[in-house]
Amino acid sequence: MQLEAMDRELMCSGHVGCPGCGATIAMRFMLKALGEKTVMVLPACCWSVIAGPFPQSSLKIPVIHTAFETGGATASGVRAALDMRGDEETTVITWAGDGGTFDIGFQALSGAVERNENFIYICYDNEAYMNTGIQRSSSTPYGAWTTTTSGSDWKKLRKKNIVEALVAHRIPYAATANIAYPEDLVRKVKKAKDVKGSRFLHIYASCPTGWRIPSEMSIKIARMAVQTNIFPLYEVENGVNYTINVKPREYLVREYFKLQGRFRHLSEEDLDQIQAMVNEDWELLLRKAGEHA
Amino acid sequence: MKKVLEGSQAVAEAVRLAKVQVISAYPITPQTHIVELLSDYVTTGKMNAKYLRVESEHSCMAALIGAQSAGVRTFTATCSQGLALMHELLHWASGARLPIVMGEVNRALAPGWNIWSDQTDSLAQRDTGWMQIYCEDSQEVLDSTIMAYRLAERVNLPAMVVLDAFFLSHTYEPVDVPEQEEVDRFLPPYNPVFILDPKHPYSLSPLVTPNAYLEMRHDIALAMEDALAIFDEVEGEFARILGRRYGMVEEIDCDDADIVFVTSGTVTSTARLALEELRARGEKVGALKIKLFRPFPVEAVRRVLGKARKVIVVDRNFSFGASGIFAQEVRAALCNSPGHPPVFGYIAGLGGRDITTQMLSNIYFEVKKSEAPRRESVWVGLQEVNRAT
Amino acid sequence: METPTALQNILYMPRTSTTTESNKTGSWRFLRPRYEEKTSPCSVACPAGEDIARIEMLITQGAFKEAWETILLENPLPGVCGRVCYHPCEGRCNRREFDAAVAIHTMERFLADAAARNETKPALPLQPATGRRIAIIGSGPAGLSAAWFLNILGYETEIFEAMPAAGGMLRWGIPAYRLPEAVLNAEIARIEAQGVRIRTGEAVSATRFEEMLKSYDALFIGCGYWRDRPLDIPGAAGPGVEDGISFLREIRGGVKRDVPGVSAVIGGGNTAIDVARSIVRRGGKAVIVYRRRREDMPAFTEEVQSAGEEGVEIRELLAPVRIDAAGGDCVLTLQPMAIAGQDRDGRGKIVAAADAPVMITVQRIFTATGAGAAAPWHTPPVPGAPEAIRGLSHCVLVQDDRGAPVVYGGDLTTADKNVTQAIASGKQAALALDILFRHGAGAMRDRLASCLVGGGPSLSLEIYLNGPRRERNAHIVAYEEINADYFQYEPRVVQPRLLIEERHSSFDEIDLKISAHTAMREAGRCFNCGICNGCDNCYLFCPDVSILRSRDMTDRHIDYDYCKGCGLCVVECPRNAMTLDEEGTP
Repeated sequence: MQLEAMDRELMCSGHVGCPGCGATIAMRFMLKALGEKTVMVLPACCWSVIAGPFPQSSLKIPVIHTAFETGGATASGVRAALDMRGDEETTVITWAGDGGTFDIGFQALSGAVERNENFIYICYDNEAYMNTGIQRSSSTPYGAWTTTTSGSDWKKLRKKNIVEALVAHRIPYAATANIAYPEDLVRKVKKAKDVKGSRFLHIYASCPTGWRIPSEMSIKIARMAVQTNIFPLYEVENGVNYTINVKPREYLVREYFKLQGRFRHLSEEDLDQIQAMVNEDWELLLRKAGEHA
Repeated sequence: MKKVLEGSQAVAEAVRLAKVQVISAYPITPQTHIVELLSDYVTTGKMNAKYLRVESEHSCMAALIGAQSAGVRTFTATCSQGLALMHELLHWASGARLPIVMGEVNRALAPGWNIWSDQTDSLAQRDTGWMQIYCEDSQEVLDSTIMAYRLAERVNLPAMVVLDAFFLSHTYEPVDVPEQEEVDRFLPPYNPVFILDPKHPYSLSPLVTPNAYLEMRHDIALAMEDALAIFDEVEGEFARILGRRYGMVEEIDCDDADIVFVTSGTVTSTARLALEELRARGEKVGALKIKLFRPFPVEAVRRVLGKARKVIVVDRNFSFGASGIFAQEVRAALCNSPGHPPVFGYIAGLGGRDITTQMLSNIYFEVKKSEAPRRESVWVGLQEVNRAT
Repeated sequence: METPTALQNILYMPRTSTTTESNKTGSWRFLRPRYEEKTSPCSVACPAGEDIARIEMLITQGAFKEAWETILLENPLPGVCGRVCYHPCEGRCNRREFDAAVAIHTMERFLADAAARNETKPALPLQPATGRRIAIIGSGPAGLSAAWFLNILGYETEIFEAMPAAGGMLRWGIPAYRLPEAVLNAEIARIEAQGVRIRTGEAVSATRFEEMLKSYDALFIGCGYWRDRPLDIPGAAGPGVEDGISFLREIRGGVKRDVPGVSAVIGGGNTAIDVARSIVRRGGKAVIVYRRRREDMPAFTEEVQSAGEEGVEIRELLAPVRIDAAGGDCVLTLQPMAIAGQDRDGRGKIVAAADAPVMITVQRIFTATGAGAAAPWHTPPVPGAPEAIRGLSHCVLVQDDRGAPVVYGGDLTTADKNVTQAIASGKQAALALDILFRHGAGAMRDRLASCLVGGGPSLSLEIYLNGPRRERNAHIVAYEEINADYFQYEPRVVQPRLLIEERHSSFDEIDLKISAHTAMREAGRCFNCGICNGCDNCYLFCPDVSILRSRDMTDRHIDYDYCKGCGLCVVECPRNAMTLDEEGTP
């Protein structure tokens, strides 16, 4: 496929991401789309480690590592400073995991986007606290095993819908993206770059280690997430205008679940229930987009 | 130009004169006047700055860490709960070697909710690598805030300028507000040593393994040591241009004093009055005002207190399970000086209760007739309470 | 912004100054990916072993000349095959299981037509002259093919053709509406332009044959089946009964003969269909009478279908019993047949049904029930005990003390009698002779085996010449090994055709040409099974930036210093052009 993005790499080899790491694939595409006039705020997440130990960096843009909760707030400060220095070209982004976005970082994120701070907040979502050893977050999907939702205590709560939560803030641009759809991801990053105000991207990033899947299945599983309507690809402008980007072929949810070790314990009844939940969410999204099932 | 200003205003004026470029603010009584004034300055164009109305104090400090790292001079103000909330990031700011300056209004920590003067909040942050400067009056607040930028930017460590809740923050006093041109001569524009810049990309605050962390921490320790000498240099420069200096400590009548009070903040003003009265009665009493708490002026303290026969430390704070914090620091400074005087620790005025000249006088006489402290800390003015309800 | 102060060198703080590239994560690997092209099922099914996956890729890229040359390296007659081949390639195309097979046949024709239109001259890897001379008897597809490949291999070739123009069945047996004369002429002209000498109007007698055994270094006999086999029933020699192939030859020779009324055509092969459809165009109605069922007819399915569209009636399970003359007409008596079990070749075994015979009256009868070799010396000896006779899959090679080695090919030897099999036999003959001369008879089996496409039976000249195709793994890519996620449903091209009414009135070609744009789009449907088309999925999805591309983007290689062996490249290669081995496998 041809990416409408630069060939030059802003990410290096030699990083310690797990083999098949979806977060690194997401970063690579995002950087190609944004280019080198970018400053990254990097709160605690897998990428804090993947970015390399002192004195090494695996990224060729300026990065400020920050504390876990601070993704939205630190970016607000960086943006203000760059503006005061007369630099309005450099894009400020926050690159955070799901923990630092959905949970501990949610306040700062909500605050920043409520102020319509001029930055792009990108959450790459591997659906648990992977960096610390696969503990559950509010992004962990219904049905998943994690080290803190193990055995019969598998997560029986829905995944928090972060995009809708932020859409409720009426931000200029919010979108989901997925590493198995690079052209769509790049398009959305570039589109976000040209919008002023708070922009939010939610990128699905497979985690072979945490999801108990073979490393070579990272992209395939990511693609199935879209094809089963579990992770729909859509955009919302100004909190009001919904556009669904991909209407998949009908794939059953259970095909997606059966490929992942973290869902191995689910019974057929559980999977039926999950299918019903996914259908319900999808229909809700269709209604918001002014479409019908 | 001399004006009658509230302490909060003095802070705001200093921030304006220092040409701060990014301000973050979250309101908490009694800091609110500071941030309201600064908001007004920015809106009316008296200041050319970005003002971030963040959603918590933790985010306040996070925003400044981001802004300072991107190469501009920053400011925030807080107190009590807000400062406590920032705790994690106070460590971060110093570890990241960022010369952030913060106005810290000494206010009691909850529970129960108490908005009045108490030093425990700022002193509880004494390990965070921030320089701490305690002020006695509004002039000192203004001058210290301006000087704090120069000091911080020279050693690459953050600094907090501490003022008592209400006693300073909300009290009007005459203050000589310098001209912009004078301050410009004293305080050059911020020239960052490192910066977030796509033209020279690198990462700040990455993962650091045991084989490098120790040396980085040591560098901070060295910077704190340097700060002692540089503090004097900075005050010297300020004095040359603006005609005022304070010293990291101030000796008040200590030369022939048998007993020396150690005070900080507005308590020092009260002590000055008490000293007048006691000296008038022939008592050989002095006071040592501690202005610079971090880095702690060990040499100065040893030098001055070494001459005394007894030392009284008045702490408007307490470290539970230990003692008043200034007392701890003084004892630590003196412990290796042979033949050092005993240190009598007094705890008074927590939660904004008045510390009167009478109290100080009583303390003095109690100490005068005691050979040694009867306990580690003596709490002053404890009242009978009804425990039944 | 001022430059940083000297203090920068003094602060020891958490700030980076180098990259992670000193960390060679290749040491993590326990699986190792590599680029490994494999064999596409279409190229295996193609009797000429054409490198179809690559051809389609080149068309998609707009490299029509290179695609055409890729065909010519394995098949000298793409303009012909693109019209008359039964395209077994499409029958094995993996895309069938996704939506519909790629129209490979149409693509081949497009390339040949484009080359002809642009008068393109092909650049082929002509081998140095060997100094040997080879005579080829018969200029049908087998002879043309043998001459073409021998010429490439460095042999001086001469074709002897009895008829006044070259082409064999291509010219005299296949009607113009399937294979226009101009197309055939262009193909033959190109073969001659390469250096093959064709001597038309020169029949070779048995005597001349014996002489040639002494004067040439080798002979190829591709004379085909030019003796028609008449019906063996009463009245078969009577008036109104004609041989179908002669009829076709007549039309090709330019005779404008009308055949009004109803004509019966007896037979079920392509010739029967060709005769019937020619009748339609000469103003008559045709009824095909076949003794087995429609599905048993050896004629190409599309031919049968086209015949039906044009109004040809097919009457099945009727065997001719006798022919009687009646006025100017023929009365054909037919015995109804029934199916009783299966024949050895899988077709229904027929026995006479209990029904009474039927009789039909027609104006004339054409027979098209098969043919045979025109002369005894055309017939190859049966492969068997004598050492001197080698039965190859498509030819027979005889080497004895009479003189030069002789290879028999084409319809004389192939199991299935059609153009593409004939071409395959010509190629096999050429390779066999080249091996014989260079390495001796003993090397023939192994050397031929090493050129098989995907295990055979088709051979590849490119592999024989040690081209890049030799590196390919013979594993045939199955549909399950294609990552179909990268393809969208897209309807197969529908080649425009003449309307039925238009077809009746002339011998003009029925399938019309397609545009380059259409060709590129259709070729774009090809999965390119097993070969790399430069889609760059491997490069894009590598989490470790360990797939590097050459400056001009044509070459990709894996940086094993950093590759962690995650295997994503292999899985996301849509066409199985990569392989994952265990680390440490040599």
